[in-house]
Amino acid sequence: MNRFFFQKLAVSNLKKNRQTVVPYLFTSMITAAVYYIMLSLSQNPGLNDMVGAVVLQEILGLGCGVVLIFSVIFLFYTNRFLMKRRKKEFGLYNILGMEKRHLAITLAWETIILYVLSMIGGLIIGIALDKILFLLLGNLIDAPVSLGFFISTKVIRSVLMLFLVIFILTYINSVRQIQTANPIELLHSDSMGEREPKSRFLLAFFGILSLGSGYFLAIMTKNPVSSLTLFFLAVILVIIGTYLLFTAGSVVFLKMLRRNKHYYYQVQHFTSVSGMLYRMKQNAVGLANICILSTMVLVMISSTSSLMFGVKEMIDTRYPHDFSVILPADSPEQNSKFASEIRSLAEKNGIPANEDTAYSYLSFTALHEENRFQVKRPEDLNTLSSINQLSVLMILPLDDYNACMGTNETLTDGEILLHGSRGSDVSASEIQVCDRNYTVKKTISEAPKNGTVASNVATAYMIVTADSDELIHLYEQQRAVYGDRASRISFYYGFDTTADKETQNAFYPVLKKFCSDFESSCTVEARANGESGAYALYGGMFFLGAFLGTLFLMAAILIIYYKQISEGFEDRERFAIMQKVGMSQDEIKSSIRSQVLMVFFLPLLTAGIHTAAAFPMVKKLLSLFNLTNIKLFLLATLICYLVFAVIYLGVYLLTSRTYYRIVSRQSR
Amino acid sequence: MALLEARSIQKVYTTRFGGNPVTALSNVSFSMEAGEYTVIMGESGSGKTTLLNILAALDRPTRGEVLLDGMNLSQIREKDIAAFRRDHLGFVFQDFNLLDTFSLRDNIFLPMVLAGKNFEEMNQRLIPIAKKLDIVNILDKYPYEVSGGQKQRAAVARALITQPKLILADEPSGALDSRATDRLLQIFHEINFDGQTILMVTHSTKAASHANRVLFIKDGVIFHQLYRGNDTNEQMYQKISDTLTMLTTGGDCHE
Repeated sequence: MNRFFFQKLAVSNLKKNRQTVVPYLFTSMITAAVYYIMLSLSQNPGLNDMVGAVVLQEILGLGCGVVLIFSVIFLFYTNRFLMKRRKKEFGLYNILGMEKRHLAITLAWETIILYVLSMIGGLIIGIALDKILFLLLGNLIDAPVSLGFFISTKVIRSVLMLFLVIFILTYINSVRQIQTANPIELLHSDSMGEREPKSRFLLAFFGILSLGSGYFLAIMTKNPVSSLTLFFLAVILVIIGTYLLFTAGSVVFLKMLRRNKHYYYQVQHFTSVSGMLYRMKQNAVGLANICILSTMVLVMISSTSSLMFGVKEMIDTRYPHDFSVILPADSPEQNSKFASEIRSLAEKNGIPANEDTAYSYLSFTALHEENRFQVKRPEDLNTLSSINQLSVLMILPLDDYNACMGTNETLTDGEILLHGSRGSDVSASEIQVCDRNYTVKKTISEAPKNGTVASNVATAYMIVTADSDELIHLYEQQRAVYGDRASRISFYYGFDTTADKETQNAFYPVLKKFCSDFESSCTVEARANGESGAYALYGGMFFLGAFLGTLFLMAAILIIYYKQISEGFEDRERFAIMQKVGMSQDEIKSSIRSQVLMVFFLPLLTAGIHTAAAFPMVKKLLSLFNLTNIKLFLLATLICYLVFAVIYLGVYLLTSRTYYRIVSRQSR
Repeated sequence: MALLEARSIQKVYTTRFGGNPVTALSNVSFSMEAGEYTVIMGESGSGKTTLLNILAALDRPTRGEVLLDGMNLSQIREKDIAAFRRDHLGFVFQDFNLLDTFSLRDNIFLPMVLAGKNFEEMNQRLIPIAKKLDIVNILDKYPYEVSGGQKQRAAVARALITQPKLILADEPSGALDSRATDRLLQIFHEINFDGQTILMVTHSTKAASHANRVLFIKDGVIFHQLYRGNDTNEQMYQKISDTLTMLTTGGDCHE
């Protein structure tokens, strides 16, 4: 044999199969580029200079892991598709006298060529985008970026290694497929598996059950704390439900349509119902994959972008004052002396304090049932329903409230003012807290700001009592139950300043030192410091969300493309027959269109429904991050869905053109 | 008046890259009366499939015209042609052309559904046909579950259900074993006996020997024709063989 026979054969094979090889090559390039960028960003020395670098590197590291797992699965999937299409070709070579050994050598050369091409392409794209994305990331997390071109040979090496392993694995898998099949099987593998699918009612039923309970969890969960635990359960239920419904449910549904004779035996339903039945068997899993990937993209990008764009508001909630100090309360005189000492310290450090707020309060967690707030031991709280009822009480005396808010409210014994935060119910006219019964004199819309209470994920209630004796009484009550873990009556002092960020950042450690010298168990917070951290966290998450979203989108697009092509080849025969039997070109076209549209937009529609169902739950999850701006999240979700739909439509138009070309190429 | 009339049909294929034009049919004229059972015989490449495609309105002749029941096929508009084919013609193909996505019943119903008929009507028409073709028990099976002979009988049922003026059969026994072939030919004979006009294209002498008339086509022209008269199938078979021998050994009828 000619010396370069196998190399030449490999090259010409790749060229001949370009319709499927090019997208595969493209996929491996992009996954390689994405992996390179992820890894290089997480190891970029320039990151170390940024505030919140640790958080960011952790997020990016997590992203690396996701991309890695994804690359392996996805490249395997597309490779399997390629092999399926090419089995006939291999069967022919085999019959023409090539041994399986020779096929394996040819395949090895093809794999080597593809590997080299995708590594070159992937690394070039990766390196080119790396810098741009680093600048973007720096911009997102609001940090100055100061670095030159960063190319790490270590990162390049690990990308090369990872993909070498993946390519070797896919190669072994392909060779195994050729080895086990005989030439006749290879030749006819195209026309295998055309049997009509069976109805599996039980699976379809479980699908509905699983999807329904997933939705139920997502929509009905009231409390953000429990939504965190239930979120993953709901996601898993919805994923299982989607797979079952796409595979078993669709068949059951279509067969039901078919049983209705008067519906079924009509031109527009006859071919499409039977065609769909046939398609669903082959494509149900692919469609379910697309649907789940799409949902992930939508939820991820809409939530992370709302976090990113809502970060200012979140910080306002979390850090109502530029600086705040919380420490165990002492006598009122001692408290105000402490406050004035802080004020003068700030003054000395170039931080003029204005709009300061000072009050003492008691805050503890209680179980909220109807109109009663009870404290219970954590051991009794482990059921899901009680997690749902957890709420945070913040209690402060009337004098402090009036002083803070500049109001002139009055209360007699047993009367209170009530304020409720997100998701609260303040309709009651009488409430019970521990052993005390109170009459709600008024519900108030404004409460003294407190970032720590606001950052608690549970529903918060603020109760203003007539005097501080009540506070002490409730303190004793909850202490009796919680023991060492009981909260103490605290003193809050917060103030705003007009000083610039740098001065503020410089003052933060000074204040911290001063306070801890004064009282060791104190909490000192500065908005400027928290802001940088938040930008790093949310910016990183948004970046990751957008990045992975793009990757998943690409995956979805590729699955669609491959599906269209493989269906095109199979449908060609069917439509040629229909034409002979008396179906006109127009009827064929409209039949194709309706089926393709259904197959195509079913995942998009389902993804939309999934996203809508996830909305209430994600909304509550976002409230864990102090994002309570529902309008922003709604807008982000809608925009994401729209953009996604437009991209999807574009892909549809592009691939359906290829599809029509294949189908209309008459096999005479 | 003749049911089917072909008037000096010519078909020339020109290749896409401007190569030499190939003449598939140079000048074919013949006519068929209602109730006839005619076979067109010829070797591979003689143009018989081209002729059938033209008669079926699947292809258009370069010159000449086809009249079915007085209607000129070339004057039917492109968008009506599918409906015309569906309503007036029935097809039986060598490779059956049944769709794997449909049960045999639905395959048979396909042209009726395309014509917009309701279920009761289709079902009523199916029952006698299915009985005659002995496929009642397999109607709910799928094409990949039954034998070749059964598939072809289902395909015949599909051709018959629209009650077409003419059945066009393209090498219908080509993919069948000899027993299934006998059975199929018997069926063709019976439906012809009931008054159905049939035009079959084949190169099998045995299939041709059941016809009333055999046209021989060679190099794009009709070379010769045979009438059954009162011959038995065996005598017909002998006559066809003799004609084929004469044709292949270079006998020239025109002179």
